[in-house]
Amino acid sequence: MSTIIEFKNVNKEYKSGDHILKAMDDVNFTIDEGEFVVILGPSGAGKSTLLNLLGGLDSVTSGQIIVNGNHVESFNDNQLTEYRASNVGFIFQFYNLIPNLTAIENIELMKDIVDVNIDGLSVLDSVGLKSHANQFPAQLSGGEQQRVSIARAVAKQPTMLLCDEPTGALDSKTGVLILNLLQSMSNDRNTTVIIVTHNAILAEAADKVIRVKNGQVESIVINENPKKVEDLDW
Amino acid sequence: MAFLGVYVFVGFGAESFGFEQTADTYYDETNLADGWIYTTNLDDDFVDKVNGLSLTKDSEKKLIVDSIADLENDPDITLHFLQDDDISKFYPVKGEDFNLSDGDGVWLDIRFAEARDLKIGDNITFEFNGIEVEKEIKGLGYSPEHLYQTSDSSMIPDYNKMGFAYMSHKAFPMSDVPYNVLLVKYTGNSSSYEKQLDNDLDRDYSSFMPRAQHPSFAEFQDETEQHKMMTDFIPLIFIIIAMLTLLTTMTRIINNQRTQIGVLKALGFKNRSIMIHYISYGFWMVLAGSILGFILGPLTLPPIMFEEMQQLYSIPYWLTGFDNSFIVVTVAMVALSALVSYFACRKIVGESPSSAIKPKVPKVSTSGFVERFGFWKKLSFNARWNYRDAKRNKFRALMSIAGVLACTLILVASFGCMDGFDEMKEWSYTDINHYSSKLVLEDNATDSQIDHIVEEVDGEKLMESAIEIKSGDVKKSGVVTVLDDNELYTPTDDDKNPIEISDDEISLSKKMAELLDVKVGDTVKWHILDSDKWIETKVTNLHSDPTSQGIVITKEKLDDLGLNYTVTSVISDKDVDDNFTGVKTIFSMDSLTDSWDEMMESSMSVIYLLAAFAAILSLIVLYNLGLLSFTEIKREFATLKVLGFKSKYLRKLLLTQNLWFTTIGFIIGVPLGREALQYLWGTMGDSFYLKATLSFKTLIITFVIVYVVSIFVNLMFSGKLKKLDMVESLKDNE
Ligand SMILES: Nc1ncnc2c1ncn2[C@@H]1O[C@H](COP(=O)(O)OP(=O)(O)OP(=O)(O)O)[C@@H](O)[C@H]1O
Ligand SMILES: [Mg+2]
Repeated sequence: MSTIIEFKNVNKEYKSGDHILKAMDDVNFTIDEGEFVVILGPSGAGKSTLLNLLGGLDSVTSGQIIVNGNHVESFNDNQLTEYRASNVGFIFQFYNLIPNLTAIENIELMKDIVDVNIDGLSVLDSVGLKSHANQFPAQLSGGEQQRVSIARAVAKQPTMLLCDEPTGALDSKTGVLILNLLQSMSNDRNTTVIIVTHNAILAEAADKVIRVKNGQVESIVINENPKKVEDLDW
Repeated sequence: MAFLGVYVFVGFGAESFGFEQTADTYYDETNLADGWIYTTNLDDDFVDKVNGLSLTKDSEKKLIVDSIADLENDPDITLHFLQDDDISKFYPVKGEDFNLSDGDGVWLDIRFAEARDLKIGDNITFEFNGIEVEKEIKGLGYSPEHLYQTSDSSMIPDYNKMGFAYMSHKAFPMSDVPYNVLLVKYTGNSSSYEKQLDNDLDRDYSSFMPRAQHPSFAEFQDETEQHKMMTDFIPLIFIIIAMLTLLTTMTRIINNQRTQIGVLKALGFKNRSIMIHYISYGFWMVLAGSILGFILGPLTLPPIMFEEMQQLYSIPYWLTGFDNSFIVVTVAMVALSALVSYFACRKIVGESPSSAIKPKVPKVSTSGFVERFGFWKKLSFNARWNYRDAKRNKFRALMSIAGVLACTLILVASFGCMDGFDEMKEWSYTDINHYSSKLVLEDNATDSQIDHIVEEVDGEKLMESAIEIKSGDVKKSGVVTVLDDNELYTPTDDDKNPIEISDDEISLSKKMAELLDVKVGDTVKWHILDSDKWIETKVTNLHSDPTSQGIVITKEKLDDLGLNYTVTSVISDKDVDDNFTGVKTIFSMDSLTDSWDEMMESSMSVIYLLAAFAAILSLIVLYNLGLLSFTEIKREFATLKVLGFKSKYLRKLLLTQNLWFTTIGFIIGVPLGREALQYLWGTMGDSFYLKATLSFKTLIITFVIVYVVSIFVNLMFSGKLKKLDMVESLKDNE
């Protein structure tokens, strides 16, 4: 399998007054195409920072982020926007759907930014929400909203799905459903999926586990035989 | 916002109430007459009889004559020979006070003296009815009867060409002064007094003029009305919008603090102290703004406008007015905003801390009527998003539209005013009067003199005499214009097309018909002011004239009615400079249009001021509302940005809504502005007539201003969009 993402000596510093905080401290790792990656670590370790840098929401202080052979750290604003539109699918803890648009509109909205033919109904069907197509986010449960959010992210067929605590606001049963969905995206569509979570059990289902602590990579473990999410002992 | 609202409201209010209060104080101080009785034979018996009427409080006779001062260009000076100085008193500002026993002195119009550089101690000679008097200038000052001075056809006061002078009866060259006016003070209203004059006074008199018809009084009254309308109505819109915006802002500010309030509650702060904290927060700001506006408004706005008015009206002083409504509005502003914060606060404080900590759940949008149509699916997401956003925030949408609407209305009315002035000028000086020179004749010009002039200048004779006209209880003053096959004077219809007045017709001007509430076929009674003979005639048709109201007939008709044909002017299409005997003044068309332009210039400053405030108003309203919605949709926009939407797309999203609101406000504002304009023309005074029309230019200018403001506001938010930090914005609500 080919390497699709590479972090090379990535540093990220936050200045507050004369105090400098190293949120990323010389981070190095690679991720292969289609991998199901789980990032673990204590609170404040730098997991979200890592994901935001990879997703092009924030810029590095130094180092290189290479995606598909392109240097993301050297992109200007327009290129970053373009990069986010075509390569990155984000999934947030709080779903972040557009409240003024219905479920299906939230998905078909993506037509305005990518050159992909999107059939909203069939995408919704793939997350099991065909019958809720014309409901507004406020009329959906948290789990349903997160499924719409996943549908929205995969609709534009991105290279990678970046999920920051996607189950953080859900009960464990719904959480399993979501994680299962994400794993199948990785397996069936060969989409690279990167999940930040506090739940260490998920590590057993991952192809690769990256542990982060104090802005540094503590360990990288590759699972030869990842379990299925639904087979885990929740 | 509070500052601007109160500033404009109180500032303009101080100006318009200032007008009223200035006039009231000045008229009071100089004891302006309630009425003027004109008669040719004013003897003691007449005075006694008037004094004997139960309603008469006081009377005073004087002689008013038109004279020409022996100075360059023969300026017209109205002379007043006084028997007493208790009613309509001279208001001295320089030199000696008016002295009745001084037969050698003259008290002169200060504006005229300044224009002509005349000093106290100078001698001046007046000529009237072949008599010459030379007097020494003893004092300079103002007269309450000459607040507004115009000569025969110049519409703007030109202090170089005219003025007035007060003298004692002793200054009159003959011992028997031929008094011609009796000033009266009376109780009750003018119509009951006039009724008593007509019924109980067994003497004839030429005419009675109550205050309301006195040219100087009426002109100032009209101006006051006009200002009242401009300065009551428009600042009122202003303050209402200011209040609404302020109130929404306060509610939003507090709602944005809801999580904080929840936290404070959870920490154990008492409800009372939380409320006091948040209410006082807004309260002090609004209070400070209001007080500042309350003080600065009257200090800064009225002087700007009084300065303009100073040129038009001879008044010794201007007072900045005050009205209780200023306090009421200011207090209401402060109280209302405090009250609104109180309720908004109480609602949040009333919730349990746990629910207050969570952000408020957005209102559920539901599929509405519009979405059911097929075309909805074809709409862009931009349109769908904006439609739903507006629907969800109806109040904000309405406020935005109202802001733009008010701005459009004010702009249309203001610029429409200018259009109207231009139209009047064109109508009056091109369509109706199209001579090059108008030679106004002396009252005593002889027929042979007139014929000589007509021949020399190849002119046409015209008779224009002041009349009183009545129908039922309504009595108005106007002008009778008598035509003698005139080519250079053409009456027009409502569409400014020339009309022919035939020998058996009596044409009434449309405005006069409206004032008297008569139609074609109705009867009106009228008489020429110099004669006591009332005539009853049927109105056979209507004409329209923007600046002069009354009757138009032919010379033949005048003869039929048994009235004297007295030529008052000769009009010619030549440029005449030569002086003929029998001619009082010569007006060239150029000087008439010039003085018209000059008069309009004084209105400009008010118009520009209003236009500027209108633009600021809509700018603030739109910015304020934009700011409110921006905090709400920041998270949404951050999400869209993360998803890969370009800033341009997001800018367009914001712009679309702005343009929708602007367009709706504009479309509704234009006709409403036209209505306001129509109302404004109505308050212009009895002699003006105009249908409100808007020029293409006005619409374009208004359009440009309104849209530039709207787009400018949008640009301010575009800047914010660019700087929008995705990571932070997404964290915000977590
Ligand atoms: N905008 C910022 N300014 C300053 N410091 C920041 C900023 N964002 C994050 N940090 C700091 O960077 C460090 C890493 O933050 P990050 O959000 O990546 O943690 P995390 O691993 O996602 O934690 P959690 O599991 O609690 O979400 C933290 O110490 C945090 O205080
Ligand atoms: Mg995090």
